[in-house]
Amino acid sequence: MFRRILAQCQKELAQFRRDRLTVALAFLLPLGMMLIYGFAIRLEAQNLPISVQDFDRSPLSRTYIARLFATNQFIPVRSGESPTDSLDRGDAIASVVIPPDFSRKIKADKDVDVQVLVDGSDVNNARVVQNSIRATTNFFIQTNQLQPPAERSVDAEVRLWFNPGLREALYIVPGAFAVVLWVFPSMLSAIAVVREKEQGTILQVYSSDLTSFEWLLGKVMAYVVVAAGEATLVMGVAILLFRMEFATNPLPLLVGTFVYLLSSVSFGTFIGVRSSNQNAAVQGTAIAGFLSSFLLSGFIYRIDNIPFPLSLICNIIPARYYILITRDAFVRGTGWIGIWYAPIIILAIGCLLFLVSTKIMSKMQLKE
Amino acid sequence: MNWIRRFLESRFWALAVKEVQQILKNKQFIFLLLFPPTIQLLILGFALDPSVTHLSLGVLDYSRTEESRELVSALTENDIFWVKTAPHRKENLVEDVRTGTITTGLVIPPEFRQDIADGKTAKVQVFIDGVNANTAGIASGYMQQIVREYSRNLNVPPPDPLVNTQVRFLYNPGLMSTWFFVPGVMGLVLTLTGSLVSSITLIREKDVGTLEQLLMTPAAAWEILAAKIAPLFVLLMGDVFLAAGIGLVVFHLPFRGNFAWFLLFSGLYVVVAIGLGMLLATLSKTQQQVVLTSFFFNVPIIQLSGAVAPIESMPLFFRVVSFADPLRHYVAIARNLILKGTGIEPILPNAAALAFFAIVLLGVSINRFRAQLS
Repeated sequence: MFRRILAQCQKELAQFRRDRLTVALAFLLPLGMMLIYGFAIRLEAQNLPISVQDFDRSPLSRTYIARLFATNQFIPVRSGESPTDSLDRGDAIASVVIPPDFSRKIKADKDVDVQVLVDGSDVNNARVVQNSIRATTNFFIQTNQLQPPAERSVDAEVRLWFNPGLREALYIVPGAFAVVLWVFPSMLSAIAVVREKEQGTILQVYSSDLTSFEWLLGKVMAYVVVAAGEATLVMGVAILLFRMEFATNPLPLLVGTFVYLLSSVSFGTFIGVRSSNQNAAVQGTAIAGFLSSFLLSGFIYRIDNIPFPLSLICNIIPARYYILITRDAFVRGTGWIGIWYAPIIILAIGCLLFLVSTKIMSKMQLKE
Repeated sequence: MNWIRRFLESRFWALAVKEVQQILKNKQFIFLLLFPPTIQLLILGFALDPSVTHLSLGVLDYSRTEESRELVSALTENDIFWVKTAPHRKENLVEDVRTGTITTGLVIPPEFRQDIADGKTAKVQVFIDGVNANTAGIASGYMQQIVREYSRNLNVPPPDPLVNTQVRFLYNPGLMSTWFFVPGVMGLVLTLTGSLVSSITLIREKDVGTLEQLLMTPAAAWEILAAKIAPLFVLLMGDVFLAAGIGLVVFHLPFRGNFAWFLLFSGLYVVVAIGLGMLLATLSKTQQQVVLTSFFFNVPIIQLSGAVAPIESMPLFFRVVSFADPLRHYVAIARNLILKGTGIEPILPNAAALAFFAIVLLGVSINRFRAQLS
């Protein structure tokens, strides 16, 4: 039996090698996607454009403005006629209005209001802007000795672990591995399965004494080999480009990646046996695979924020567990302690997908 | 009435009717037009939430006094933190942060109450899991802010700050993250569905060879292509209504701008998406190739558009590249018309960019098609 599976696997690899375009896409697409994620996605709010209307034009108001832009979080843009102009045009995300009596009132020890209009459409940025303008104002008050500093009787001594420099690539890149290695291996194996159906070569399989189990296992093995090549390429390039380093011994990552690829390829065969043509198969893997691994895995947005019925789906998404493994390997570094269960769940989901695929296929097979 | 009859008897009309019949007969096509957009809008709309709330907190309270409990309740008051574990030993707390069970750990020392009573500075220790750089930064900010606030309230009369910052949120006063994401997702859905549907209809005829048959008919090349595009346009406008309907009913988007403008620019963007799909179809020979290449184009188009990740935070190079992304302009227009409702003037540059992309994409792909056909 094992010889037949191996032969099937070799046949599949030979077929894959012959299709030059698919080989090229199989390696270029993951690499391209990896680079886009690694370079372009930044969640941290920076360079937020802000317009200031200074009706006071005093040394004090200028100091205040200088304070605002001293942190490099904001960049100044020109304001229009009214404070909302720059917001309406989308040039600025916030508009600060300093009243004409700003310095006069401060010198007279009276309260003064600085008005801040914030474009609330991007919620995250809006909150960041609000907090940092408030913090800047407090800092301005303190540094200009406008008020005795409040006596602080409790102090929080905060320590950041694992990623003290808060480098965002350290967070994004391990997550991108999970998306890329879920979408592309599954797409390739889905095409491989459905192509035989479309071209009718599957009839030969039916008439041979090959079981659906052997047929599919041969395919899965072949594409796990291809996927392992993709994984090596993607991780190698990412490690070089984004200066990633192993934080722990790489064995959990190796084991985890192997079962994840197995699971990913099985997902592809599952979609493949369910669809009748290549289009449906590719769309199925692209849409279902992409949405689940991108959105419901905690790659960019925290799983804790996903509302109830959707959050249940998160638990059966292998990408979610693989992200734990990659982040542990490259950032956290606890080794098996923190993630021992992740490869087991991934393997279980993969086996389930594979067995369901063989079930579906064997139903289609001719009975003797 | 003569021109209507002439139009109904024209080759264009006959071809367009044939095209519509073909599309309606194809169940997969109808499914493609209805199912993925709905699911994408619902899942993306509900799942994308960048706000930082419900951070899991582990509390190790050695002090066990009224003051320490007050500090903990100050932290959990606004749903920013919630207590997940309350270990008895420091090693357990450290282990919880290490393994990722909790994102933040708080240690309140035994002398906490005494220090406050003595007027000394009481120190609490906070550990934060920095794996998620963005969340960690925000968590650390919240933590310090809440502790500062708590500390200030201990000094009986908190002094009024001399300079107040009065913050008002425009356009989205409730700070609903769905209001931000859903207009972006609408554009994303139109891009995916539009380019895919149009590339598939064209490539299928090329694949099966029926395009050659069409060429034998007395219709001109432009008539054939126009008859292909027009029904697709009408069907995809159906997707625009579907998306707007979901936005209104499920996500309660305000639609502050002029709805007619929204339809017009959405129509323009549908043309861009169809042009993109046609271009992909001329670049590929088989269906498999076209879906793979569309994936190759769609991922950067979506990532650089600002629909899911903010453009302001991207490195300068990508901020510049994003201007060449038609989806960026559509998302800007949709957000403006849905959330801001400022009138047409601020979005004119974006509209001009869309028109430019529509003309270039359609022009190039029609030319390439003609070259391939003859």
